[in-house]
Amino acid sequence: MSNTKVLYVDDESINLKLFDAVLKRKFEILTAENGITGLDILKENSDIQVVISDMKMPVMNGITFIHQAREIWPQINYYILTGFEITDQMQDALDNGVIRKYFKKPVNLNEISEEIEKMTS
Amino acid sequence: MKKLKFENRITLIYLLVGGIWIAFSDKILDYMIKSTELITRIQTFKGWFYVIVTALLFYLFLKKHLNQLRKTENELEIHQTNLKQLVVEKTKELDTAIAELQDINVQLYEKNNIINKQNSELIEAFGQLKQTQKQLLLAEKMASLNILTSGFAHEINNPLNYILGGLTGLENYFREVDKQNNEQTDLYIDSIKTGVARASSLISELNQLSYSKDAYRDDCALHPLIENCLLLLQDQLRPNIMVKKNFMEGEIVIWGNISQLHQLFINILLNAIQSICNEGIVLITTSRQNDLCSVEITDSGCGISQDQLPKITDPFFTTKEPGKGTGLGLSIAYNIVQAHDGQIDFKSQINKGTTATIVLPLIKHSDE
Repeated sequence: MSNTKVLYVDDESINLKLFDAVLKRKFEILTAENGITGLDILKENSDIQVVISDMKMPVMNGITFIHQAREIWPQINYYILTGFEITDQMQDALDNGVIRKYFKKPVNLNEISEEIEKMTS
Repeated sequence: MKKLKFENRITLIYLLVGGIWIAFSDKILDYMIKSTELITRIQTFKGWFYVIVTALLFYLFLKKHLNQLRKTENELEIHQTNLKQLVVEKTKELDTAIAELQDINVQLYEKNNIINKQNSELIEAFGQLKQTQKQLLLAEKMASLNILTSGFAHEINNPLNYILGGLTGLENYFREVDKQNNEQTDLYIDSIKTGVARASSLISELNQLSYSKDAYRDDCALHPLIENCLLLLQDQLRPNIMVKKNFMEGEIVIWGNISQLHQLFINILLNAIQSICNEGIVLITTSRQNDLCSVEITDSGCGISQDQLPKITDPFFTTKEPGKGTGLGLSIAYNIVQAHDGQIDFKSQINKGTTATIVLPLIKHSDE
């Protein structure tokens, strides 16, 4: 296992559990059920290198969360993982380099794993 | 008492006068004159006297009568002249009336023409109205479907994500931990993967029905765009299908969404190609008129029956075998054309082929 720390934010607990179960052998996985908790975890773990967030969540959506996180931790690689088609807000985030890429559900977690390895190697 | 006719009267008077004269004149002479010699001499004068008196009487009677006749004749002539004049006047009036009637007739004819023209215009307008109503109904149907599919897609994608996530976990487990029965578990895992992939691609197709968030600001050169689509369809094009391009001279550039337009032509071309069973031709004709351009895609394929033709843009309507098509291709094409303020029209004959005509404005008006 590499010591890459990955934060995954999603309001559906099964997604969080599966993400952790499949990818914990390769990375250190932290999970949050919404953006607020996500920001708290980021504060406590300054060594997080990758953040992956769902788009549609209560309190704040994925892009709002990433914008707030990016202001404090601009060095982190941010990704969106969504069940929707791409929205204008996501397109803007992609164009402006706020997120590196977006994944579409259903996603092959091995694909995410490869992306993380590529980014952190 | 009935008045005697002139000729009878004059004859009667003549007979009376003549008779009286013959009966009494000789007696009076005998009574007044005794000398026979004198009487003989006077006899001659008496004859003259009679002739003169009767002639005078005739003259007076005839003159009076003829005068009356002449007067009547004159009056008749005057009447006749008046009558002639009257006839001329009346004829003139009639001519004027006829001319007026003819005038009115011409005006009526013109008005009739105008009414006929307006009538045909009304019929045309009515046809257009019906067409617009049909399009509006379809657009509304699509709009409500879009709302439904967008939410539906998200709700399906999440459980699909669980399945794929769990599956990836299992796959890794069997590959790294329990390596004994990989042959069998691979079959199971691949089956689930195929199922998830098919469900996922259907959902993403459904999602493509709604484009409200996309922008329509790309310069899309139509001819290279169609060439690109043909390139992407290369593996679908069997060698016995000939593609003929009848492109207008010069370039057609549309202001629109380039990826949507790609999908539009891929969907229409794919249908054209798939409608050809053995060999056939797909003809692509482009033209431009003022601020509109038109692309006609004609195939020599199996065609669509008249009762099925109105349904081909309905979501999930397909004539293909199960698993060969989702029935969303033309529905998506229809939505893309609508989103570009264009029109799409299909004409088809069974066993002869189908023509899809796409008319697009060069500039999308609602985005101006």
